[in-house]
Amino acid sequence: MKKMMLVYGALILAFLTYVFMYRLEDKRSSAWGEAGLHGSMGENYVMVTFQSGMEYWKNILKGFEDGGDALGVTVDYRGSTQYDVEEQITVLEQVIAKRPAGIALSAIDSKALTSTINKAVDAGIPVVLFDADAPDSKAYSFLATNNYNAGVAAADKMAQLLGREGEIGIVTQPGQQNHDDRSEGFRDTLAQRYPSMSVVEIREGKGDTLVAKEAAADMLGKHPDLKGIFVTEASGGMGVADAVIGAGKAGRVTIIGFDTNKGTLDRISDGTIAATIAQGTWNMGYWSLQYLFHLHHGLTVPAPTLGNDVSPLPARVDTGISIVTRENVNDYYAK
Amino acid sequence: MIIMRNNRVESWREGFWRWLRFGDLPLRYKLVILFLMVGILPSIALGILVNWTVNRIVDQQVTSNTIQLIGKVNQTLDNDMENLQNITYLIGFDPRTERFLQGDIQGDKPAAGADIPSGTYRPQTSPVKQDNEENYEIKRYLQGFTTLYPEIASILLVNREGAYISNEMYARSPANLTEEEWYREAVLNEGIFTVLGHPADRNVTTHVHYANEELVSVVRSFVDPDTREVTGAVLIDLKLRAVARAVRDVTLGKSGYLMVAEAGGSSIYTPEDSIIPSIPPSWFPEEESGALIREVNGERVQLIYGTSSFTGWRTIGVFPTSESVYEVREIRFYMICFLFIVCLFGVTASYTLSQSISRPIWQLMSFMQKAESGDLTIRYWGNRQDEVGMLGRSFNRMLQQIRKLMKLSELRERQKREAELRSLQAHIKPHFLYNTLDTIHWMARKKGADDVSDLVESLSRLFRIGLSKGEDIIPMSDEWTHISSYLQIQKMRYRDRLQVEMELSPEAERLHVLKLILQPMVENAIYHGIKARRGPGRIWIQADVEENVLVLTVRDDGAGMPVERLDALRRQLADPVTAMEAPREEGPGASRSYGMLNVQARIKLTFGETYGIMIDSIENEGTTVRITHPLLHAVPSSSDHDRRDSR
Repeated sequence: MKKMMLVYGALILAFLTYVFMYRLEDKRSSAWGEAGLHGSMGENYVMVTFQSGMEYWKNILKGFEDGGDALGVTVDYRGSTQYDVEEQITVLEQVIAKRPAGIALSAIDSKALTSTINKAVDAGIPVVLFDADAPDSKAYSFLATNNYNAGVAAADKMAQLLGREGEIGIVTQPGQQNHDDRSEGFRDTLAQRYPSMSVVEIREGKGDTLVAKEAAADMLGKHPDLKGIFVTEASGGMGVADAVIGAGKAGRVTIIGFDTNKGTLDRISDGTIAATIAQGTWNMGYWSLQYLFHLHHGLTVPAPTLGNDVSPLPARVDTGISIVTRENVNDYYAK
Repeated sequence: MIIMRNNRVESWREGFWRWLRFGDLPLRYKLVILFLMVGILPSIALGILVNWTVNRIVDQQVTSNTIQLIGKVNQTLDNDMENLQNITYLIGFDPRTERFLQGDIQGDKPAAGADIPSGTYRPQTSPVKQDNEENYEIKRYLQGFTTLYPEIASILLVNREGAYISNEMYARSPANLTEEEWYREAVLNEGIFTVLGHPADRNVTTHVHYANEELVSVVRSFVDPDTREVTGAVLIDLKLRAVARAVRDVTLGKSGYLMVAEAGGSSIYTPEDSIIPSIPPSWFPEEESGALIREVNGERVQLIYGTSSFTGWRTIGVFPTSESVYEVREIRFYMICFLFIVCLFGVTASYTLSQSISRPIWQLMSFMQKAESGDLTIRYWGNRQDEVGMLGRSFNRMLQQIRKLMKLSELRERQKREAELRSLQAHIKPHFLYNTLDTIHWMARKKGADDVSDLVESLSRLFRIGLSKGEDIIPMSDEWTHISSYLQIQKMRYRDRLQVEMELSPEAERLHVLKLILQPMVENAIYHGIKARRGPGRIWIQADVEENVLVLTVRDDGAGMPVERLDALRRQLADPVTAMEAPREEGPGASRSYGMLNVQARIKLTFGETYGIMIDSIENEGTTVRITHPLLHAVPSSSDHDRRDSR
């Protein structure tokens, strides 16, 4: 009987060892691809914009795609082909009908899209906004450049470059919220922190190189002591640079531009423009996707509306800016 | 030949011996081995067979499924590429493109960017307004494609002067774009859509930071239909995501994956945790699709591939062969579980079965061993109804029978012996003679015939002692008196021819002996010794104690007997009872032997084999008879007597 027990013991031991090894191997091979945050291929996140062919979106889309790759989910890019509110609403409705895992939206109009966004959220589709807000909607978060802060940063840079004194001009697009925020941040900072600097004139550039050039030339004529010009958008920056070159003051008037298109970067390289503000466009896309992923997988507890203080997701996210000067301009050229 | 046969014989013999050794194994082990072989071997064989079959079939199915899957993936990729080809044609159909290629619309020129030294100002050529607008329109037109196909990263149009129009690409350095590798490739293929693979070392780029590995370039040159001259080219960058989307979510088994490689072998798409970064094209035979196994980094890898005829790309399914297909592993797991259970049951069943058969046999055997060693009271206990039970009951019956027979024979023996003793005594003591003789004795005395009186007294004494109240054991003195009386009578008869010398040691005198053991000896000595002799003879009678044995010796110097006769007598003495029962032989010595055998039988039956008569004789010189007899200091009680008897 003792011998039998020995045989049974050996058999059972061998079997348990086998089962253990099998489970171990199973766990090892399955744990391999499952570590950390990981979605499935079936999850489809959609980024919706307007004028979807615009170059500006491409970097955001890149961030969105990179986020999708990092989490192993699929992403789609949709958008109205024209600058058309109705078309964007149609596109958004179509996207909602497909019931994606999440929608990142740049609202063409802050009011008109609210009901469509709410419809998506009510249907259980997480929505985050980027770049352009729809403040009354139920979207969970808004990821964009804080334009006021961008203006503050530009002012600080201007003060640093000019030794905290001198007359400054601004070329902007009054009436557009983001541009107003930028110039307001700029002016407030100068007024509060740098008393020996003053904004002597604010002109309209209309986002056009030629208009900005004329405005800048006019400004330079009126204020011969003008030490610096802050331009709140890219095309205007190139116009202002042309005007400074035309006035023969290249290098003596400090220009701070906005955004990093090729022309602006070229002007920074040749020293005409001193600095520009680069927006975190990639971050907008990347973190939009991360937020949507977290919402979709219930990793956070979403607050019912934007602006709610207890929201587990930041209701407003500053995707950050960086200042491009001649020292680091090469990093901003495409590789 | 002979050696061979020898070998064969030897191996046969060896096998036979082994078989014999197996035959020598205890029944228990034999049964265990038998049941295990019957129960477990077939299931193990079945398991191996099933495993092998499943492995093979699943392997085949996986391979064919994978080839089908690869075909589908290739089809998807081909569709994507055909779409791009359509786009290049669509761009070519546009009249503005035509005009740009002719040089009617001014494109952008590669301009220096980062390379311009600081401070120097290079005035920008202000483009003609009309041109600028059409340039912008083409850009918008190109942008439209990326609007419709987000997988397209960028589109670039180049004319033969090196001027370009693109939705968002720009030249990095002033070098002429027509010098570029991709442009030359396009020119070489004269209007045929060409897939270039990942871009490398290009002078054109975009602001969007797509790495070269994230893009796939296609190119097509525009050819003037009349002059067959290349007028320009269109370059489209496709995001690798478009390729990856078709390939990435395909998992083969647990860790197998798909990868896409160019005809040249360099990888288009490889998942992150891949086993092989690139596969040399020399591995693949000419066939469009197939399967092969290669060793990579010490690991055997199965490659299943299919080639697209349109792009020339090869989609390859990669599996490590060490990891069998998941389903097969699962089936194998259940198989082994099943085998384990079979083993468990098999071992238990074979053990129990063999026990149930061999244990009762073994028990029976141990009973038999006990019976063998003399214990006939043992019995087989058990109420089994099978063969072993029957055997046990037979065994019981057999033992009973043996015991019965033994008791019977014992009883018979005793009865026989008692009858014999009685008959012997009756033989010797005629009771009424004794009384008659007494009367004669007194009558003779009265009449003064003293010699007759003495003779009759002796005879009377002889008979009295012979009768001795029915006792078997008498004092030595009585025996001695008995023999003296006997001799007195014989002396009357033989007168001077008979001389007797009697010697009784004092130790011997106090003892008791079996009665009437000397008289037959003396009688023999007189009738067969002295009487057969010429002239007077002498008889010596001695009783003495030697080494705790009473020795009675009757010696004569009579005729003695021949050797043959002595040997025959000795043989008879060795088995007196049988000899007495044998038919009486005629001739001299027959009576002699009968009295002697009688005494011998009585001594042996009463005291055992150690005591008895020894006879020695030399012809014409005399005979010596020695009786050994135990020392009896008192007459043993009859119960003692009985016990001794039964032993």
